Amino acid sequence: MGSRLLAALSMCAMALALAYALTVGVFSIYIPIELRPLAKILVTSAYNESTPLFSSMTPEIVTAVVWDYRGIDTFFEVAVFYVAIVATAALFRGIERSAPRTSVGLSTIVRTVTRIVALMIVVVGSAIILHGHLTPGGGFQGGATIAVAVALALVAYGLAKLVEHRIDYETSLKVRSLGLLGLSLSACIALIAALILNTNAYVFQNQPKTYAPIGLPYAVDGVLISGTVLLLNIFDGIAVAAGFALLLILLSQPEDVARERVLSSEGGE
Amino acid sequence: MLFLELVLCLVAALVSLVGTYLAIVEKDLLKAVVFSALQSTAYAFIYYLLMAPDIALVYIPVAVGLYPLLLVIAIRKCGRFEEV
Amino acid sequence: MDLETFAKFVINVVAVVLVLNAAIALYGLLARPNLLKKIIALTIFSDSINSFAILIGFRLVKGFENPVPPVITSVPPSESYARWFLAKSVDPLPQALVLTAIVINLAVTAFLVALAIQIYRVSGTLDARTLAYEKARRGEER
Repeated sequence: MGSRLLAALSMCAMALALAYALTVGVFSIYIPIELRPLAKILVTSAYNESTPLFSSMTPEIVTAVVWDYRGIDTFFEVAVFYVAIVATAALFRGIERSAPRTSVGLSTIVRTVTRIVALMIVVVGSAIILHGHLTPGGGFQGGATIAVAVALALVAYGLAKLVEHRIDYETSLKVRSLGLLGLSLSACIALIAALILNTNAYVFQNQPKTYAPIGLPYAVDGVLISGTVLLLNIFDGIAVAAGFALLLILLSQPEDVARERVLSSEGGE
Repeated sequence: MLFLELVLCLVAALVSLVGTYLAIVEKDLLKAVVFSALQSTAYAFIYYLLMAPDIALVYIPVAVGLYPLLLVIAIRKCGRFEEV
Repeated sequence: MDLETFAKFVINVVAVVLVLNAAIALYGLLARPNLLKKIIALTIFSDSINSFAILIGFRLVKGFENPVPPVITSVPPSESYARWFLAKSVDPLPQALVLTAIVINLAVTAFLVALAIQIYRVSGTLDARTLAYEKARRGEER
């Protein structure tokens, strides 16, 4: 252990020396003083009431880029996420309902603390999701935070107790599909409205654009909701949280049943 | 003000280097996961100090919470030590 | 050392450390026999690359004050606030790209962990050398 720590510290010294040589020498990483032109456009147009046709009306510029400027990118990245989860579920097919009868959790103290803390984590995660268009946060961040609560409950209570309370494979799969359906629908909400009103609109349209006068209001009663960004954040948070819960439940299935099932199917082939 | 931030960024970068090295050379996989979580914490600090609070918010639950849990579950199922 | 040189030095340190981390993780990915160790190395590698994208989005401000995160805190922004914000905000685009990459990385890592568990169930080992040897032996039997 001591020699390893020494090696790590000597690597630190090497990094410092190399960085000092880079600083005083010829080569250095270019650190801009001015913003890049594309970033300038994003920063000036993300919330700008004087040019409403070019603005996304979202004060949080990262969320604006994720769900408005590059919305289709994000949608297909969520599709990659979904495919990875479906692949895991397909790999573990046949063993997803073999929950143990007896629960192997931790002691009463841990369980009580977990009950309090998990609730608080869910509340914080929901706040991160719902304020995603105003403060740092959004669907991905809040969804991952809520999944931590599920992970904590899984460790403290054991899988059997969770299955008893209907937090199981079926439920999380259904909630995951619901979130994805909501994501697709709120991406097309301007398009559906335009079909009814007989005008033009784009997929993933948030605010009204030129030749596409349909758009969600960015403020309701003085409260800023940024059009579709709030809806997309909420559904994405639900989808991410349920997806991670599904992964955790799949991976913590009891091993003896699973091995027996896998080996029997291996011999049958 | 910027000076303090830069010093913290320096310390976090060096801690992440130590964490990565120890995580890779460690034979005990459970300890390797712990060192990897140390490296992740240092990265979360770096993200915060480089003015990316969104990334810090998504990185802390993912890399310090969920990802070690997945690996610990796998280690419990598959054995703890790496043979050399 | 004045503040500008120190800022450049620290950014260089972070860049060098990220490159070293990526190199160490690449070594672990290629040379370590255990599949779970390979997965740990892979996540460290991808996180280092993501951090490099964030580092490229960073900037320094005239007068070397703190830059601010890309969040408009005064709604609606006044003319003077918008000018101040444009002069101090960091680049939001790399952050938006990395944000989704991290979450998807976790899902793909979970798939890799599931594959490793399945390999262990079928063959009883996670050692890449033993697995390759077994594969070669089976090929000879056929």
